[in-house]
Amino acid sequence: MIRFEQATKYARTKGIKKPIIEDASLTLNRGKSVGLLGRNGAGKSTLLRLIAGAIKLDSGRIIRRGKISWPLGFAGSFQGSMSGEQNVRFVARIYGVDTEELIAFVEDFAELGPFYKAPVSTYSSGMKARLAFGLSMGVNFDYYLVDEITAVGDANFKKKCRAVFETKLKDSDVIMVSHSTKTIRDYCDCGVVLEKGRLIYYDDIGDAIRVHDKNMKGL
Amino acid sequence: MSHLSTHIRVVGALLVREMATRFGSKPGGYVWALLDPAAHILLMTMIFRAIARAPALGTSFALFFATGYIAFQFYQAMTSYLNSAVRANKALLSYPNVAPIDTIVARFVLQVCTTTLVAFIVLGTIVATMRVDTDLHWPAILEAIAMACLFGLGVAMINAVLFLKYPLYEQVFNIVNRPLFLISGVFFLPDAIPAPYRDLVLINPLVHVIMGFRKGFYPEYRAVGLDMTYLYGIAFLTLFAGMLVFTLSRKTLRNE
Repeated sequence: MIRFEQATKYARTKGIKKPIIEDASLTLNRGKSVGLLGRNGAGKSTLLRLIAGAIKLDSGRIIRRGKISWPLGFAGSFQGSMSGEQNVRFVARIYGVDTEELIAFVEDFAELGPFYKAPVSTYSSGMKARLAFGLSMGVNFDYYLVDEITAVGDANFKKKCRAVFETKLKDSDVIMVSHSTKTIRDYCDCGVVLEKGRLIYYDDIGDAIRVHDKNMKGL
Repeated sequence: MSHLSTHIRVVGALLVREMATRFGSKPGGYVWALLDPAAHILLMTMIFRAIARAPALGTSFALFFATGYIAFQFYQAMTSYLNSAVRANKALLSYPNVAPIDTIVARFVLQVCTTTLVAFIVLGTIVATMRVDTDLHWPAILEAIAMACLFGLGVAMINAVLFLKYPLYEQVFNIVNRPLFLISGVFFLPDAIPAPYRDLVLINPLVHVIMGFRKGFYPEYRAVGLDMTYLYGIAFLTLFAGMLVFTLSRKTLRNE
């Protein structure tokens, strides 16, 4: 379960203050995967980072029950000067999982070949995304936070992602941000629309997508 | 899962990461952390042996400079490495498990170990090869080291926050910090400075660090003006201020 209690967060950059969420209260229960919808720049990625706890609220609180992943995105949480393998080792250590097992799993999954031992700064964005996806699939979480990452790699790799992701989804839930409403519809049961600092929950993902589409048209 | 065990695991992982990447790009790796200060002391010893007749204390130029330099390094290497602890690990802070303080703790532990190792190697070699036997007074040595490290930690924690918030402050700090090496008594004894100026020099807590450290190596050194109470006071006050600023700014440290 993840519960927002009067959560408020402003994004501040160079003196511009923009609300991401304002006084939002919402409960997301276990057993349902959530699609997060909102226009470009509404703060969906920031919201995922808030849920993960990678950044802090300005006021209010978020109560988390269960193990929540870091936000999985293109931007990457990798240290560029370390190799892919070193980054995997680091994550294994901080989450207390078996290091060698995780290294072997990711090596096999991400298909980086010799680049696995090269610094992440030399990777293409596709390689980074493959590493990020493989890495998070190697650690067990109750919630996976996914930021636009399911559409990486070639058809073969996508198939592999989908297969492993679907096994994960038997015991875990996903909170997903994607511009592809098709992906969201495929993976998610319910939806949350983020619009002007408000979070609105829809029990049916179809309803959420309809509202989101209406919001986008009414620009 | 308790918070403390997470912190310990994260600090352990960061330690390995710092060891692997700090000198990772150079051949020789971590050895440079030891070689660099050793080479520096050797060079300074040679220069000063050429221009001065006798060191201000004892008979060995090498011991005189090494004691000053290493005591100073416990502060200087600490701050220069820790100032950027949070910034350098920015990407890793996107793992919610990793807290900004963990990056500071990991670098602190690594730097204390590194400088201690340097001290053992350099001072050990000098003391072992000297003709005169040296009586080491360990409490004075350890006290000086502890205060230098804590003071450095406090300064670095303040800097970690202020560098992020006020880039201008970083410039100012670097300008002020640079001549510190010259006025902290690495090359001279504050005891030898005439009265009104000596009081000015003694404001600098690092002068007391170096005097205290040297007292451990030179039993005959009187260290006029050494005030350990003052040093303790400054070190703990700075550390407290650092912890306060760091805690109050955890949002900024995470968001940046």
